[in-house]
Parts: sequence; C-alpha cells; structure tokens
Amino acid sequence: MGTSRAILVDITKCIGCRSCEQACKQVHGLPMQSEAKLSPTALTVIEEHGDRFVRRMCMSCQDPACASACLVGALKKTELGPVTYDGSKCIGCRYCIVACPFNVPRYEWSKLVPFVKKCDMCYDRQVKGQPPACVEACPVQASIVGTREEILEEAQKRVLLDPKYVRHIYGTEEAGGTSVFFISDVPFQKLGFTPVPAQQMPVLTATALGDVPTVALVGGSLLAGLYWITNRRNQVLLAEGKKQPIRFTDKTKGKS
Amino acid sequence: MSGSRFPAITTWRVIVAVIFGAGAYAAYARFALGFQRSTNLVDAQPWGLWVGLGTLCGVGISAGGFAIAAAVYLLGFERYRQIVRTAVLLSFLGYLTVVVGMMYELGLPWRIWHPIVMWNRHSILFEVSWCVMLYTTVLALEFSPMLVERIPWRRLRELYLHWHHEILIGLVLVGALLSSLHQSFLGGLYLLAKGKVDPLWYSQYLPTMFYLSAVPAGLAATIMVVYLCTRSKRLWVDVGILTEMSQVIAPLLYVYALFRGIDLYTHGGAAYLFLWREETLLFWLEVALFVVVPIVLLSQRRIRTNPQYLYWTCATVVAGFMTNRLNVSVTAFQTSSGFYYVPKWTEFALTLATVTAAGVAFYYAVTYLEILPRNPPAKQWLMEKAAA
Repeated sequence: MGTSRAILVDITKCIGCRSCEQACKQVHGLPMQSEAKLSPTALTVIEEHGDRFVRRMCMSCQDPACASACLVGALKKTELGPVTYDGSKCIGCRYCIVACPFNVPRYEWSKLVPFVKKCDMCYDRQVKGQPPACVEACPVQASIVGTREEILEEAQKRVLLDPKYVRHIYGTEEAGGTSVFFISDVPFQKLGFTPVPAQQMPVLTATALGDVPTVALVGGSLLAGLYWITNRRNQVLLAEGKKQPIRFTDKTKGKS
Repeated sequence: MSGSRFPAITTWRVIVAVIFGAGAYAAYARFALGFQRSTNLVDAQPWGLWVGLGTLCGVGISAGGFAIAAAVYLLGFERYRQIVRTAVLLSFLGYLTVVVGMMYELGLPWRIWHPIVMWNRHSILFEVSWCVMLYTTVLALEFSPMLVERIPWRRLRELYLHWHHEILIGLVLVGALLSSLHQSFLGGLYLLAKGKVDPLWYSQYLPTMFYLSAVPAGLAATIMVVYLCTRSKRLWVDVGILTEMSQVIAPLLYVYALFRGIDLYTHGGAAYLFLWREETLLFWLEVALFVVVPIVLLSQRRIRTNPQYLYWTCATVVAGFMTNRLNVSVTAFQTSSGFYYVPKWTEFALTLATVTAAGVAFYYAVTYLEILPRNPPAKQWLMEKAAA
C-alpha cells in the first residue's frame, strides 16, 4: 500500500477555527451550521476538551471493523486509504455502527430512507490527486496529508524531537492501525479518546468464521453416523417384523 | 371448535385486537414517520429491542425445533415423535417472526434480498442472513406436510408426502447444522464490538455461550407450548415426555452455568460480579432466572412430574434466557456508550404484535391441522404416566 494516504492531526497546532468543518460541509453539500458532535450532517467536528481542540472523523482503519461487519460489502477499505460507503448496497442493518470501535458512523434516524453517513477522507477528491477538503482548508497545518509512510515518519519526528508531546501516536496501535493519526501534548484519555483494543478487529470474528467448515464437517458426520445407527436398528426391527414400514397411501394400492 | 365452547376466548380476542391495533399504529409510525419518531434508537445504541428481543430471543426460543427433530429422525427417539410437529411449528413460526421483524428493523427493508447477490464472507451477519434464509426454508419444508396432508387431491398429496419422506432425513440433518451455526453466530455478532460490550458479557466464546443457552431455552419453550396445547385444546400428549425433556434441560443448564462461570473467571469478568452497578443487578437476575431457580426447581421430582409446575419452571428458563439476550444486546452497551436506552412504546407494540400474530397462527394451526394427537392413545397409560 505504498500509495495509501493518511492524515495527521496535530492537536497542539489546532486553533479551533472550524475551517475544516466548514470545508467538509461545503464539499459534501451539507447544511453549514456548526455542530458539536458527529452527525449525519457533520462528518468531521471540532470537540473542545479543556483548552484543546480535538477533531473527530472516520479513522479509516487499515483493517476496518465496519467493512468486515457489513454483510453486503457496502463499506470498503480502498487502496488509497479511505474507507468508502456504497449507499446503493446498504440494507440499513446498522451493524457497522455497532462494530466501529471509534463510534464514528452516523445513521439518518430522522429520514424515511435512511443511510449511514461518515467521513470517507474525500475519496473522490483524493482519486483526482486533490487533498481532503478539511486538510486543504486548515490555515495552520494542524491537519496534513501524505502517504501513510510519510505521515507516520513526520509524526514520529515531531513526537521524538519535541518533549511536549505525549509519547504515543494515536492510530498506530488502535484497532490494529488506522490512516488517521493524532499527536497531542495532553494525554489522549483526557481528550475524549475512548480506549480501543490494540488489535485488528476483524480477527475477532475470523476465528468463529473459520470454525464453520469444521463444525459443518464434524457435526454433519456425527449426525449422519448417528442416523446410520438409528436406520440400521429400524431395518432390523422391520426384518424381524416388529415394526410396520411407513406408507403414504390412503389405501394399500399405489406407491409405498 | 372455537368461540362458543370457551367463553373466555372473547377476552383473549379483545386483548389480541388491542395488541394488533397498537401494532398497526406502531407500524405506521415506523414506516410513515421513521425511526426517530417510532424508536428511541440512537447512534450509541443502534440495535435495541427489535434486535435484542425480536431477533435474538425469537431465534433462540425456536431452537427446540431442530433439537426435537434431530432427536426423533436422526437419533431414533420415537417417543418424541408425538411432539415433533409442535416443535417444528413453534420454530417455523418463531423464524417467521424474525423475518417479519427484519422488515421493520432494517432501515431499507425492500433491500432484504441484497445478501443473496452481494456477498461479504468476512461478515458474521452475512453468515447469519444466509442461515436464516436457508433454515427458514428448511423449516417451511419440514412444516409443509401438515398443510399438504389437507390437500383434497390424493395423487398430489401422496406424491408430495412420498418425496418429502425421501428428503426428510437430509432436511433434518441440514437443519440441525444450520440452526447450530446460526444460534452461535448470533453471539458471534458481538465479538466485533470488543471494548464496547461489558466484561460481564463479553467473551471470545460468546458463540458457544449463545448455542449452549439456546438449546435449553428452546426445549423449555417447546414444553410450554405443548403444555398450553394440551390444556386449552384438549390434545393429548404423554406427560412422561415433558418430564424427560426437563431432565435434559437441567444438565444443559449445568453445562452452560459451568462454562459461563469458568469463562467469567478466565476473562476477568469475575472482577465485576459484585460491583455496585445496574449491570450487576441485571446480571444476577439473568443468572437467577436462567440457572439457579430452574436447576433448583428441576431437581424436585414433584415439579418435574407435574405439568403445571413444569410449565412455570420452563417459563422461568425462557424469561432468564430473554434477560440474557437483552443484557448482551442492550445492558452490556450502557457503560461504554453512556446512553441509557429505554425502548419507546411503539417498539414494544410492534414486537408484541408480531409475536401475537405468531401465537394466533399457532392457535389456528393447532386447531385445524394435525399437530398433536387428538384422541388419547390410551387413557389408562396417560394416568399411569401422570402418577408415576
């Protein structure tokens, strides 16, 4: 995934101007008023935690729980990095929302034909070589975009060189790695980052799914074997005349 | 057959009518006003009562069908043949309620067929959807003779029943496998939500746990239904069978309790057992209803052999089972989501109406089809069994 793109959000640089929110809404044709929390009409928001501004958006996991959850494959991790959503496949089961460890996808609860809404890292723009709208709009480069390798290198450099940073790049371990990274000078727990298992989430279900052939084979053979015994016993009873064969005719004539 | 002989039935009809009326309004609210006006679901609790009660409990309570069918057709427990139709009918209607439930649970129900052509084999829900489709078909086929034998054309009837008999063993075998996979996969759905599901309920063995709890719950539900049939419709069944089934339920509950206990201990959930939280209370309610009370009651001979006591014991098992499923699907998410979900009345109404519809269908099926023996096989034999 050498071409895979990633975003780095440097919380120490964000001034809370909400240009990213506005740019996002403009590009996606959403109502312009600012919102406090992620919603179907706010795919990225600035949350205030103390005197820090924390941007929230889809983390674009490397191995997304939502994509493994989606039964019709509407959610996909692209080569380019973004996790895209194909509304034409969605059946509205909302398992992606249950599955997302970052609680990002939003559902259009108020609509009669509801879809899932989430940031897709401006996939359509990135395909054309343009940066995500939010990154482009940031006046202080609190958000930057690049290849995942470049971005990780940059994040590591900043965290290592400047002692003010917390020695953790949020997104390197969380959910087995993401394509959106955060660095901060305040511990992440204090900024509303919920603890997320440090593993690829789909692995959790892969074991259960991997057991299917075994269960089917072993269980099937076992049941078939037991039936063979039952059947044999019945045959013996029939042969000994201790049991009547089953017939499906009302009278004795016809098929048996 | 109906009405006039049991005056009490009118009360029931009024109740059913009220439930259907409320359900009709709830359906209107769901489809004409949307989720927001008809449910209390939010992004922090995207699955609520319709999934927790409608789907998880509906499927679990239907586990009796595959267990009894496998016991009769594959393992040769001939005595259970007299209740196999009841068990299959219960499962079939149970799965129908789940499918109907999907129609209002899904945001875009007219796309319910999508999983047939759009595949994601990494998704547990994909496997669940296929199991539901296939197993509902299997149940429909297992149930079909009860309707087909009423067809007045002899040739057609005989032909169908003949072929049905030819494939029946295969159906039962496939049904048992599909159902087993499916029961476990419902628990598997929650594996992905690690970190969101409370430690009292999260475990990598959730699939196993769902399976181990569904079988006793399904058997208990079957006992309840058989008892209700014999009581209200004057149908006959060997009481000894119910006692025997209860003697199967008790060890199954033991196995489940043992497994659950060891799992809680090894997963570290045990540290939460006595914390002062609402979750703790609901956890112990679940344990009391599903494990402790039934095991104590079923150890009493007096209760095992008395159908009415047995009925209430089984009701406890089913109630405990439902508590467990609602705990996994709702309670377990409360702390992590910080949202206190209480279903809207329309959510209750729609689920209740669906289940009631299945109940009414069951009533008419038992009344007009050959589900349970209509005449006592031998009165004296029954008395003996009851006394023994």
